[in-house]
Amino acid sequence: MTSTQHTPTPDSTTRPIELGFALVDERELAAFAHHDRLTRDDYLDQLGEARDYVTVPDGAEPTHFFLGSEFCEHLLPSVESIDRAVALCERWGLAFGLVTPIACDGLFDPLRAALARLPAGSEVTVNDWGVARLVQREFPDLRPVAGRLLGKMLKDPRLPSATWARMYPNGLRAGPFRDILDGLGIGRLELDFPPFGAADMYAGIDFPVGVRAPYGYIAKGRICKLGSLSLDTPEKFSPGHKCRRECLGFNEVGARPGTHELHTSQRGNTMYYRHAAGMAAAVAEAVRNGWVNRIVLSGA
Amino acid sequence: MKITAPISTPAEVEPLVRAGARELYCGVVPPDWIQRFNTSGVNRRVFGNLNGYADLERVVDKATALDAEVFLVLNAQQYGEQHLDALTEIGARFRSIGGKAAIVADISLIASLAANVPDLDIHVSSVATCRNVESARFFAALGANRIILPRDVTVAEIAAITTELPELDVEAFVLNDGCVFEEGACHTVHLPMNKGGPICIDNYQFEYQATGGGQPHERALRRLEQNDLDYKRWLWYRFGNGFSVAPNGYPWGPCGTCAMPAMHAAGVHSVKIAGREGASERKIKSVELVARVLERIEAGEPEHAVREFAVGLRDAPSHCASGYMCYYPEVRSRQATGDAEGKVLTAV
Repeated sequence: MTSTQHTPTPDSTTRPIELGFALVDERELAAFAHHDRLTRDDYLDQLGEARDYVTVPDGAEPTHFFLGSEFCEHLLPSVESIDRAVALCERWGLAFGLVTPIACDGLFDPLRAALARLPAGSEVTVNDWGVARLVQREFPDLRPVAGRLLGKMLKDPRLPSATWARMYPNGLRAGPFRDILDGLGIGRLELDFPPFGAADMYAGIDFPVGVRAPYGYIAKGRICKLGSLSLDTPEKFSPGHKCRRECLGFNEVGARPGTHELHTSQRGNTMYYRHAAGMAAAVAEAVRNGWVNRIVLSGA
Repeated sequence: MKITAPISTPAEVEPLVRAGARELYCGVVPPDWIQRFNTSGVNRRVFGNLNGYADLERVVDKATALDAEVFLVLNAQQYGEQHLDALTEIGARFRSIGGKAAIVADISLIASLAANVPDLDIHVSSVATCRNVESARFFAALGANRIILPRDVTVAEIAAITTELPELDVEAFVLNDGCVFEEGACHTVHLPMNKGGPICIDNYQFEYQATGGGQPHERALRRLEQNDLDYKRWLWYRFGNGFSVAPNGYPWGPCGTCAMPAMHAAGVHSVKIAGREGASERKIKSVELVARVLERIEAGEPEHAVREFAVGLRDAPSHCASGYMCYYPEVRSRQATGDAEGKVLTAV
């Protein structure tokens, strides 16, 4: 199998770090619309208290704005919201990207409609190999990015020690992985920073890397407890039903009793951990070393 | 439609095939693997594996003599690049002793096996979360012969794939063991129970917060708490009704037997029984249960009669009526509401 050499990850001394914000709830676009331009503080303010768990390098200012969910097929933004976000990004001078989830077949037509609204060169964060194929075949002027669900790694915040984490290495540097992404026209990876991770975990990856902060995701389901809130009892906790997007109104926060593990939460079908201070520092170190060239801020 | 059953010892081959399984899947931890890589993680399960190559050969020999096929699970969610050559060698060795297919989730390993062991079939593991037509096309292009669909798909979604890609075998879950999260998007390990076990049943104590801060108002909180109680009940079903069996020995837990006529009509090639780590008796009773339903389908009994038969097999129809023990609850709902057309539900 042949492989294509990518341009190495840009060195942070020669190119400024990119800074993105990923918005899931399209209704919140209204609040963003009040801004004539967006600053790093505008982005950080969106995180609330969690802003204390991100280290944004000096001089980093917003370059990207993303809309959509990686985790739920019910949260694909409407074409009206996409149009609005694209127009806002033009005003702000930011690059727009659409974020997409693992998809059932019923989502492909809405996805086509959404992708058709994007300006040429827009990024599409794909988390499903089928969606990656769709983008490549039908929207060749868009730029697919492999999302967190395709960059597999162990992220269990309950692991007793780093030894456990080392037992399950990731395959992000494997030649076939690189070749498959090349074949799909994917030119960038978006990844999490895992518990017991280190800055150099991103070194040697053959693609430019963006890291989501300050929340990593642990697990996501198709069955959604909160999304079943409005369903009759026998219909709850099953695939293929309608959803009222209750996850946008409520969140669950907690811990395992008697532990001092990472702050953990669940929103809808997805569990998250929040970075600790040391993890934020490690991501910053990875940026300094040029192993990561983008930070994408997002909530949980 | 064939029954695919799990095994963890050579002794299980004969009783499972005699009970009706035509396809068997198993894992193996080669003796040098732990020394080489300091992990027993050759596949998704640390336990429930064969002891070594000698056992694997016995399994293949016994199964072949009984006209059954054997599949080897190499289905960790991801492998390090340092593992790929060793795993490809395992695949080649398995093929050389008569193994039929490898069950794989990691795309790099799929590509490596397809390139280097071309006569070994590749079954895309449920851990790969392949659950749409385009994704199935992607894996077929990589060299896959079969897609094992993840849990939590609808029969209509299965039918979409079988219709669009008739050359690809499709396998779907029918019995036992339910994950809460999608296997391919759950980046945890099943810790020993004294350290928490699977994360989906670990002892997390969560409190609700309203988006933007503060507690939900009282009425919302009451609804959320009632929903939590329903969820706990669903979890109980999801994990084998508290890891129990029916009085007649048939296993409880996630079940799609009443959906088998619809799955058969949809062109499903094989129905999968989960539970490599389970006791032999549980595996045998599982295959018996599914085989009894399959016999009726193959005999041409009407769909409603087969469904009624399946629901009655454990003599506790209230569990089926709960809707929480189903892999394909829409089939039960369709029956309950008299929707004979089987309306296709979509995501949005």
